[in-house]
Amino acid sequence: MVELRNVSVTYSNGVDALNDVSIKIKDGEFVFVVGKSGAGKSTFIRLLLKEIEPTKGRLQVNGFNLTKMKKRNAYRLRRTIGCVFQDFKLIESMNVYDNVAFVLRCIDASNKYIRNRVPYVIDLVGLKDKAYCKPSELSGGEKQRAAIARALVNDPQLIIADEPTGNLDPALKHDIVELLQAINDCGTTVIMVTHEHEIVQEFGGRIISMQDGRVVFDDVIKSNYDLEH
Amino acid sequence: MKLSGVNYLFGQGIKNIWTNRIMSVASFCILMVSLLLVGFSVLFIVNVNSIIGGIENKNEVIIYLDDISEDEITAMGNKLRSLDNISDVVFFSKDEAFAQMKSEMADSEELFQYVGEESPLPDSYRVKVADIEKMSSTLMEINRLDGIISVKAPNDFVNVLTELKRFISIISITVLTALVIVSLVMISNASRASVEMRKREIEIMKYVGATNSFVKTPFFVEGMVIGIVAGAVASVITLAGYSKVMEMIMSQQTLWSVVGAGSFTPMSGVAAKIVIGYIAAGALISAVGTVMSTKKYVKV
Repeated sequence: MVELRNVSVTYSNGVDALNDVSIKIKDGEFVFVVGKSGAGKSTFIRLLLKEIEPTKGRLQVNGFNLTKMKKRNAYRLRRTIGCVFQDFKLIESMNVYDNVAFVLRCIDASNKYIRNRVPYVIDLVGLKDKAYCKPSELSGGEKQRAAIARALVNDPQLIIADEPTGNLDPALKHDIVELLQAINDCGTTVIMVTHEHEIVQEFGGRIISMQDGRVVFDDVIKSNYDLEH
Repeated sequence: MKLSGVNYLFGQGIKNIWTNRIMSVASFCILMVSLLLVGFSVLFIVNVNSIIGGIENKNEVIIYLDDISEDEITAMGNKLRSLDNISDVVFFSKDEAFAQMKSEMADSEELFQYVGEESPLPDSYRVKVADIEKMSSTLMEINRLDGIISVKAPNDFVNVLTELKRFISIISITVLTALVIVSLVMISNASRASVEMRKREIEIMKYVGATNSFVKTPFFVEGMVIGIVAGAVASVITLAGYSKVMEMIMSQQTLWSVVGAGSFTPMSGVAAKIVIGYIAAGALISAVGTVMSTKKYVKV
């Protein structure tokens, strides 16, 4: 569960990135966070990953009280979160298998578990034939699938996808969101940050819209499919 | 942490050397050159000090004795030996002194006809002072002994040598400090550049939940291995260079006859220290430098 209570963030340059934001996302939800550039979406994600501290308010993610948590313990929180980024953030010197296995190495998983789990997850995202390719040998969609496999591999409670479709062709965008929805169907909470309204309208669901550091809309909308039928 | 985890981190460190081979070679070269600069300077200073030490050992204080009995002469010898700063005590009888004088003045044989066969010279002790900087206090202690006519000490020589030693030690410390600082800056820049190229990698590691030690360990291993190799290669170059220089010096008879062949520090006396010093310094500086360079990036 993610819960922000009256959270504000003011950067050292005086910019108010978030202003008295209260959001509650229950376990198993799929939420789109939308807004223009500068609306506060990135600050929201950085807060959830404990990259930055709130100036005011209380914040809880996956049972961790982030307001009290020490920065050096942030790794505990991050091990319960899978991250998918617009620029994929894959380690270029590692192949897909090693990129995915790396997460399990970080949590000191056994070699046996890694050998079983990693191929399973890579297969799940449809990259079985590309497991030993370096990121430079993959297409944009394949890179994002590899990033999703990495986010999934340690069975996180929450997946945060920051503009995961930003660098993809329209056809691939649909596939990636569908993949995230399939993951959500298995019980993982998904927060997808995007500025692409077409995608939000296509899939529908809970939408949190942000503007100038505030939540201006938080409700469920119907998908295009629901509206047409 | 499981053994497989430790193996993985060490393996990653070794693998990173090859993956980032251009930066690895750059770090290796900078580290090796720095070690060589400092190492050769230390060897030069050690040898200069050793040569000065050799000259220092040639100091001799002559203590002329009064007309005292043999027992008193022996007692005087024991007293001199018991003094802290005296390294060598040799008795020189008046007959030996007279014989030496005659041999040195062989051309003026007629002068000795008036002197006769009995030595007009006094008995003496010839002593060597261990630390010439403490020469004056040692002379004061000697002068306090009974049965002494006079004491002859090489005061001018001692003053010059003491000044020279002080000057050389100031120059040595200054040059060495400057070299160590320059080397550390060069090494730190090399490791910073190497880490800078991988800041994205560190950022990703932190996002997926890696602890700081998990991120730093491969960098530590990488730095340490590069340091050990640089230290080993620098040792080989230094030992080969030093042995060549020694060979050249030993072939210059006039040079070592002036300063004394034994004044140079022999290869066998420094070889182990060079190898251990280079490898330990290389590994430590490189590993710590590399890990410190990651500090900025693990704060994600």
